[in-house]
Amino acid sequence: MEEKSNSQNISEDIKNLVIARLETIPSNVEISIGGKGSFTIEDLIERVKKQDNIGKKITEMQLAYLRSLGKLPTQELKDASANN
Amino acid sequence: MLLLITRPKYDLPTHYLFHWAGLLINEAKRRRVKIIDLDKEKAKKDKLHSYLSKQPIDIVILNGHGSSEAVAGQNEIILSTGNGTYLLKNKTVFIRACDAGTILGKEIIEMGAKGFIGYIQPFMFPIDKDCVNKPLEDKLASPVLECSNKVGFSLIKGKSAMQAQNDSLDEYAEVTDRYSSSEAINSFLLPILLWNMASQVCYQ
Repeated sequence: MEEKSNSQNISEDIKNLVIARLETIPSNVEISIGGKGSFTIEDLIERVKKQDNIGKKITEMQLAYLRSLGKLPTQELKDASANN
Repeated sequence: MLLLITRPKYDLPTHYLFHWAGLLINEAKRRRVKIIDLDKEKAKKDKLHSYLSKQPIDIVILNGHGSSEAVAGQNEIILSTGNGTYLLKNKTVFIRACDAGTILGKEIIEMGAKGFIGYIQPFMFPIDKDCVNKPLEDKLASPVLECSNKVGFSLIKGKSAMQAQNDSLDEYAEVTDRYSSSEAINSFLLPILLWNMASQVCYQ
């Protein structure tokens, strides 16, 4: 099914940061992303480079995690989610 | 209590959800909760709408692919905005599908459902390629799917949507903390756990 995408432009530095994080994932892992299917890490790296819808979602996910590291991540995210 | 659950199975993500939702069925049976299991080819729109209109169903759990305005069963849309949401009046609904919390979930509540839990982003989980034939033994998928399953387990115990949401978020917090420790392996799971945790919403 159609997924929304974030039209924000991503810098090369950010792409490289996300790719470096993806490269730490073991090669036996695939990531299931809803109706888009499941993707190998190599697929995801290519999509982050291209910044298609999947690449943008993976970038968004990794950046959300990195931003959370400066906080008390789980409790703040729990509170934010509970308030939705 | 009467539980209706859909479990399509036609690709890798639905194969996993089919088996993990099976654990909810086992728990419901153990608690003597009556179950309508629309699995595989039974996960069709006509069957779902017929059961919802004729049976006194309390809890509805839909597993499958989704979008902001629709959720699919076995290769077809089984519920969408303006098409069947009124059938969920007075029921507690959990939709484990991408994005359905954005628009569809709000309409379900506007049409009189007791509560709704779903996701406002794509629902993601990791898969160990060596475990595809035994998804319940996949130790990479299990942290995410256990946290998500917690919603269903709590609803089956008779808890409200908000209580089930809080139980699930507590589980996410506990699992996330476990994978955050310096000795933890597979810390690459953390962004996925946090993503699904932040994407899981409850309306009531």
